[in-house]
Amino acid sequence: MTERSDDLNVQTWLEDHGDFLFSYALLKVKDSHVAEDMVQETLLAAITAKDTFSNQSTIRTWLIGILKHKLVDRFRRESRETVISDLIDQDEGDNLEQFFNSNGSWINKPEIFPNPELAFQQKEFRKVFQQCLSGLKPRQVEVFLAKEIHGMSNEDICKNFSLNPTNVWVLMHRARLSLHKCLKIHWI
Amino acid sequence: MLNCKQASQLASRAMDEKLSFWKHTMLRMHLLLCRSCTNFTRQLYFLRDASRRSKNKHDFQLTEEAKQRITNALNDK
Repeated sequence: MTERSDDLNVQTWLEDHGDFLFSYALLKVKDSHVAEDMVQETLLAAITAKDTFSNQSTIRTWLIGILKHKLVDRFRRESRETVISDLIDQDEGDNLEQFFNSNGSWINKPEIFPNPELAFQQKEFRKVFQQCLSGLKPRQVEVFLAKEIHGMSNEDICKNFSLNPTNVWVLMHRARLSLHKCLKIHWI
Repeated sequence: MLNCKQASQLASRAMDEKLSFWKHTMLRMHLLLCRSCTNFTRQLYFLRDASRRSKNKHDFQLTEEAKQRITNALNDK
């Protein structure tokens, strides 16, 4: 398949996946220089390990896998155990019970944030927003970043992360509920 | 009649895809009567706006210098 040979053209990896890997790394290490280094290390490792790429995954999923290993190594050196557990894909279950009662009504009623326009102008808000993003579960971050920050279509997200359309909207919904909750706690 | 859990799921879904006529109608009816879910729906737009603005500020992009540096490192290999 020609698509596969394109995938293995290392020259395009940085262009096609660099920003995505960077955003993912940035949310975990919270320092743009360190995040740049992580992208570089990931791509270098990927070149060395090129032959181990299996057709069962997409190049992006494979690169994210390598990046996660690099992040775990780094955090281990810094003994940041809590962050390591954030990188391992756990069963994310339904976990909507933290938001809704058994009869399906809100536990904490959503409110409108006062003056969103003002929030956007404040640097502090962008920091809080990034913090809230980095607190999402691994699969949720991947899908949310892909969709809302990198503008990928649902179809491409399904292909890139081997998900079906239902998985995508379930993950998006959970990500949005969690972000809403986090911003409510840390912003207003 | 939808409950809030179901309505919020549909509201979120409507951000990414066109709902069927029936689902859309059910959601509209719920939103007419429910302040909380109306607020949540507005928050969904807020989140989208916040994401777009982060993107426009290049918060999540490699700089050209970083790209160049990485390209050099890859070429050296």
